[in-house]
Amino acid sequence: MSTSTETLVGSRWVELGLALFTASLGAVIMYGSYESGIGWGDAGPEPGYFPFYIGLLLTAASVANLLGTLFHWRRLLEPFVSRHGFAQVLKVFVPIVLFVASMPLLGIYLSSALFIGWFMWRDTQREKRYGWLTILAVAGGAAVASYLIFALWFKVPLDAGPLGDLAHWIKGALK
Amino acid sequence: MSEIDSLMQGMSLIMTPGHIGLMVIGVLLGILVGVLPGLGAPNGVALLLPLTFTMSPVSAIILLSCMYWGALFGGSITSILFNIPGEPSSVATTFDGYPMARQGRAAEALTAAFTSALLGALVGVLLLTFLSTRIAEFAMQFSSPEFFAVYLLAFCTFIGMSKNPPLKTVVSMMIGFGMAAVGMDTVSGDLRLTFDQPWLLSGMSFEVAVIGLFGIGEILCTVEEGLVFRGERARITPMDILRTWKKMPRYWLTLLRSTLVGCWMGITPGGPTAASFMSYSLARRFSKNRENFGKGELEGVIAPETADHSAGTSALLPMLTLGIPGSATAAVMLGGLMIWGLHPGPTLFTEQHDFVWGLIASMYLGNVVSLIVVLATVPLFASILRIPFSIIAPIIIMVCAIGAYSVHNSMFDVGLMLVFGALGYLFKKLGYPIAPLVLAAVLGDKAEDAFRQSMLFSNGEMGIFWSNPLVGGLTTAALLMLFWPLIARGIKALFNLRTRRVERSA
Repeated sequence: MSTSTETLVGSRWVELGLALFTASLGAVIMYGSYESGIGWGDAGPEPGYFPFYIGLLLTAASVANLLGTLFHWRRLLEPFVSRHGFAQVLKVFVPIVLFVASMPLLGIYLSSALFIGWFMWRDTQREKRYGWLTILAVAGGAAVASYLIFALWFKVPLDAGPLGDLAHWIKGALK
Repeated sequence: MSEIDSLMQGMSLIMTPGHIGLMVIGVLLGILVGVLPGLGAPNGVALLLPLTFTMSPVSAIILLSCMYWGALFGGSITSILFNIPGEPSSVATTFDGYPMARQGRAAEALTAAFTSALLGALVGVLLLTFLSTRIAEFAMQFSSPEFFAVYLLAFCTFIGMSKNPPLKTVVSMMIGFGMAAVGMDTVSGDLRLTFDQPWLLSGMSFEVAVIGLFGIGEILCTVEEGLVFRGERARITPMDILRTWKKMPRYWLTLLRSTLVGCWMGITPGGPTAASFMSYSLARRFSKNRENFGKGELEGVIAPETADHSAGTSALLPMLTLGIPGSATAAVMLGGLMIWGLHPGPTLFTEQHDFVWGLIASMYLGNVVSLIVVLATVPLFASILRIPFSIIAPIIIMVCAIGAYSVHNSMFDVGLMLVFGALGYLFKKLGYPIAPLVLAAVLGDKAEDAFRQSMLFSNGEMGIFWSNPLVGGLTTAALLMLFWPLIARGIKALFNLRTRRVERSA
């Protein structure tokens, strides 16, 4: 296919965008430091004294990268990502974003199980697609395993969301 | 000798069933993260950190350091069997390891890799045993300016010696420093860079950055390349091991050279990755079978593995004695030490005698345990890589998300992890190094403290960094390192000029 290897975006554009981003990050750090005081107070250097120069260096280095990219603009021809490659990345990245967004709503266990289930269900590259039972077993198993390891064994409570409320309610009803 | 006594004390401390069990668990988890794509030693350790908060520091460091050894070993398994370096530092192992596996010599390659790794690591630990007390004693006379100069040296070495463009290294490093600055100012207790956002009050944790940058970023890179695992089968029989061990002494010179390279690169912040590449190219240059390199030469497996592990181990020397980690993983462990309430640096040796020697003793034992465990479990871990990507990838991502959440029990951190994941993907593709960011995020506050204390001493005069020969030497060395690429180019140009003149006159 001619479309699959076609370049979506050139390296130089991403290079430029990232340099702009880091430069603005530096500017934000400088601004924040300036607010906390970058001078010399009663007790010596003020809180923003050190971070201000960090921001300054960050912006300076980013601007230098930016200029470097512009300077070599004509020579920087290599592609950053192909259309096909980027589609592959998005196919994974978008579900991750949804997974992370659903965590506060559904709790960690439920959203994890759904996330794993979705990944397996959507995998069409296999000759034989996963059966419902396999999906349920793997997704549910992973969620249960994380409960056993984190919450029970290492005593790191994870936000269970509605599931936790349900467990709480059942506990109360049984009493 | 006092070192031997201390070491024996440490040994008696760790020789309990509980600690040895922790070692085995640590090694197994380490091999697992080393084998799985997207997880590696730095974020394996970061993921495990929140789980160690309830443990005693000695148990915690045993678990984490053994995970580190396990991850280093696990990286070699994937390099040799699958041609996929599980760790950046085992890239060089793929050059000859995979061809050997293709020729059906996987068992030989694996045994040689693990054994030379163990030898390299043991030399690193020996170095640690006998040098660390001296370095710590020497560093006891350091005050803030000296400490800042040492930090400066570490950071400048990173910039000057990195394979990546220096300015990109600076950008990555400064983002790390910026992260460290967010939240409470450790000197005055004031809040800064929080922009009145409640979720920034507690600061940004380096663990979250590590998990996002290394974990999610790596997964995204992997899917883009559309990686398919096509591995060679391997089973190691005792006969294979003995046969390979009989061949090993022939390569004593390679072993020795690689160990030296590894120790040097580990102590200076060159890190295991640089060490393994350098050692590989040196081995190729000096080998009699030079043309065989890249086609399955045993020496080409031995050289990078030895250097990789001796660098990985000796990276702990500056971490313990000076509080400066020599690798990304050591940086994460250093962060762990600070979370457990220990102060890495020379005082650690006097105040936390048991901890330090327990750790050093565990490194001898842990590496031997690693070798046994890894030899026994190669087929198991090789089969893990045959699990379809559509199962293994979401589970890795889930583990990363839970790991990021459990740092502060905060959902915000999970979102932050995602941002760092995207950043990690861009960084990796555009040649920005990630390790400096982690190093700066961990050391940022300490470096800043040292700098501000120095400024207080001197009333804001930069001259304090040249006020005595020690600090002056360190600062000058730091600047030399920073501008090393320019200096090296200058020297080369000068040299060329002279040879040209000589040629002309001749």
